Parts: sequence; structure tokens; C-alpha cells
Amino acid sequence: MPEKMIVCVAVVGHQNNPLYIQSFTEADDALKLHHIVHCSLDVVDERVNNPKKSGSPLNETFLGLLYPTENYKVYGYLTNTKVKFIVVTTDLDVRDADVRNFFRRFHAAYVDAVSNPFHVPGKKITSRTFAERVSTIVKSFGLSSAG
Amino acid sequence: MAPVGPRTGDAIFSNVERVNAELFTLTYGAIVRQLLTDLEEVEEVNKQLDQMGYNIGIRLIDEFLAKSNVSRCIDFKETAETIAKVGFKMFLGVTASVTNWDADGTCCSIVLEDNPLVDFVELPDTCQGLYYCNILSGVIRGALEMVSMKTEVTWVRDMLRGDDAFELQVKLLKQVPEEYPYKDDE
Amino acid sequence: MGREVSESCVDSLLTEMVSSYCDRFYANKPELAARRIEAIGFQVGHQLSERYTMERPRFSDHLEAIKFICKDFWSELFKKQIDNLKTNHRGTFVLQDNRFRWLARMSVDPSSEGGDLSQDNSAGAPENKAAQATSMHLYFPCGIIRGALSNLGIPCAVSADISNLPACSFVVRIKA
Repeated sequence: MPEKMIVCVAVVGHQNNPLYIQSFTEADDALKLHHIVHCSLDVVDERVNNPKKSGSPLNETFLGLLYPTENYKVYGYLTNTKVKFIVVTTDLDVRDADVRNFFRRFHAAYVDAVSNPFHVPGKKITSRTFAERVSTIVKSFGLSSAG
Repeated sequence: MAPVGPRTGDAIFSNVERVNAELFTLTYGAIVRQLLTDLEEVEEVNKQLDQMGYNIGIRLIDEFLAKSNVSRCIDFKETAETIAKVGFKMFLGVTASVTNWDADGTCCSIVLEDNPLVDFVELPDTCQGLYYCNILSGVIRGALEMVSMKTEVTWVRDMLRGDDAFELQVKLLKQVPEEYPYKDDE
Repeated sequence: MGREVSESCVDSLLTEMVSSYCDRFYANKPELAARRIEAIGFQVGHQLSERYTMERPRFSDHLEAIKFICKDFWSELFKKQIDNLKTNHRGTFVLQDNRFRWLARMSVDPSSEGGDLSQDNSAGAPENKAAQATSMHLYFPCGIIRGALSNLGIPCAVSADISNLPACSFVVRIKA
């Protein structure tokens, strides 16, 4: 398995309702990853409600590293419309710039998906175009910084 | 001799007041979605979108003629070319092409590969019978009627249904002689 | 950079949308027509706020979000900002556009065009009809503002005041 990789991404609505969750591993660990995503939501809330304590820059959409586990690093992002993006990577020395870049592209894909007139706000994102775009973004993660 | 109009709408488009296409795209999408809710039947939505387009077309033709300097008295063949090259560019900022002429020059296809109406759009499975861009066929029909051409406009290809382009077939039914628009007067 | 269309596309579409709802689908139910037009605006505002806030930090309070509507959001739509913002500091904001583009462009459009003169001698005087048509047009931008703010986490009611044409004031009342 490649060293640098994203194993799971999630979009979560403002009432912590899952809008999209996709894991990218061959291993049968979807449940574990979903659990990690779920746990990270509390960290996001904590970060946002106590920005000073966590030391993250005020009101930036990128929330940085939410928490490391033994095998994963979990990053968070919160849009102005209170939608959370969570990404779980297996790369333990991931660069901040790569994660920021990932979220920026992911956010653009999300915004286009919810611009579909038939998308119902708060409902799961079922768009095939979105799924394909996400998978492309996930595959290219960290490639720009190789070497 | 009738003056020859511009061959493309680029110059006109760069001179008209323009707005962010997102507003237009999203507004059209919201209208279609609301019509589906209110009218329930997809067939009825197709019909109403066409009607809305027709109403827009009969008004938009004046602006088109004024800005493009196209003469009213051109034949169907030139008219179709002008719609594709000048009309689409001038309003939507995209160029269409004309193909598939029949032998007697009364039926052709207008092909659109880039269409701002459908940016972001994915049809749900429940709307497979929907002609999402049906407003366009109405606009063409309405505009042509104001220059005395009765037409029938139908969709042949639709990218939202998996085709590689949008294709509208425009069939000239009859060309009525120029007359004053206010026929009921006196 | 972004894609553009001619302004007459938007104008024609809005005019036709309003007249379809008011004169055809809900001809005798203006309040229903109004609600539908507002709903269309709401969806558009909801989606636009998502797009236009993409590359910016989160707003820390209501005032910041309202200012965003007055400046960046309005500029994207109308190439100008809201001219005047007032607040009573108790959740009501008044956003005044001194020359609201959609009204300015609309008044050029004579409502008698299109030959649909089916109302032979209805009770409503022409000015009344015109005023009603104007107010119908305003449900759309009111819906846009409400949709945008609601997506930014600010539930509110939005109404329009045109007692001072061609200026138009949008009154935003934030729900507690």
C-alpha cells in the first residue's frame, strides 16, 4: 500500500448528519473509519466553540489536525455554512499545505454538487459526478509535493 | 439588397451588459425544480418550460434584431445560421452550429456542445422524461414566429440524458408573408 | 474569469417566471404565487451563499454575515454594493440599494406587451396592477437574501420596501 494516502473522507451537515462518507481502502475497515469520523466531530465542535484554547487561527475554515491515532491522522474543515469535512490519512508526516490544498479542491467539488437544482439541502449527496471528482482528488493527494 | 448581418456574435456579446452566469444557471434550475413540485407531471413541466421560452422568444427577437443588425427578410437557411452563430453567442455566450440540413432546406439541427443552463445539473432518476432545457426550444420557436416563420422545434440529443451534445431539430412548417403585428387593429 | 451571460437572459427569465406564476399557474391566488417565487429565490440564495463564501474565513457574528451580503454578495449579483445599511441592534437590518437594478430594468418593460389583455374591465386600476407586479418581482430577491442568510446559519424573515423608488430597501428580521 502506498505510504501517503487518504483512507476516508466525509461530509457532515450542521446537525452532525452524514451527507457523504467514502472510504478508500481495500481492507474491511469501513466501520472503524466511520467510527473515527464520528469521534472527530466532537473535536470539531470543541475547536469551533473554544478557538482560543485550541490555538487554531480564528475562524479559518481549515481546522488543522483534529487528532492523531496510532495509524491515522484526522483533519477537519468547517465551511461558512456549517458543513464539516473530515479526512483520514495513513500518512503520518503529511504536510499541512497538502491537506489545505486537498480541502480547497474538495470544497469546490462539494459546492458544485449542492448547486445541482435537484439536490435537497441536508440530504445525502448522491451525485455520481461528485463521487468521481472526490475519487480523483483523493488519488492525487500529496502527489504535487513528491520529493 | 438586405444588409448582411454579423457572422458571429462575439463583438455583440462583448458589448452587451453581462452578468455572472451562475445566477442565471441557478435561477433556471430553481424554476425547473419548483415547476416539478407545483405541476407534478414531467410532461406538464416540459410544456410549461416551452411556453415560457416562447413568451421570452417573442420579446427577445426585438433586442436581437436591433443589436445584430440582421435584416428581417432573410431565408430560413441564413436565419438558422444567424441564430446559432449570433443569437446563442449574444445571449448565452456560447456558439452553436447548424447541421443536418434536409434536401429542401426546411429542416436542420442546431447543435450545442456547451450550455450554461446545465452547469451543475444532474437529472434524478425520477425525471428521466424531463427536457430540462425545453425553454430553449420555446425561445427559438417564439423568436422565429415573430419573423414570420412557423416552426416545430424538438430535441434530438440531450447531454443530461447521456448524449454527447445538445441537438435541436428546427423544422420550418410555413413561412407567412410579413404582416403588421397588430392584426386586430381596426 | 467566470462564465457570463447577457443580462437580458436573466431579466427575461425573471420576468417570465413571475408572470407565469402570477398570471397562469396561480392567477387567482397571489399569495401562493408569491410563496413559490420566494421559494425559487430561496434556493438560489442558498446555493449562491455556498459558492460565494468558498474562499473566506467563517463569519464570527450576524453583522459580519450581513455585511458580506451587502458587499461581496451584492457585487457578484449587481456589480455594486448595498448603499446603506442600518440596524436597530435588536436583530433588524435594513439594506438599501439606491437604484435596485431589477426594478430599474423592469420599469422599461411595458406590462401591456405580449397582447395578453384578457382583463376586460377588472376592478384593479392599472397602477394597482403595476404595483402588484412590482411587489411580485420583489419576492425573488427577498427569497435570495433569506436563502443566503439561512444557509449561513441565520434564520430570518425578509421583506422589501419600495416607497422610495427607484431605491429599494430590504428589511431583514432575524429570528431569535
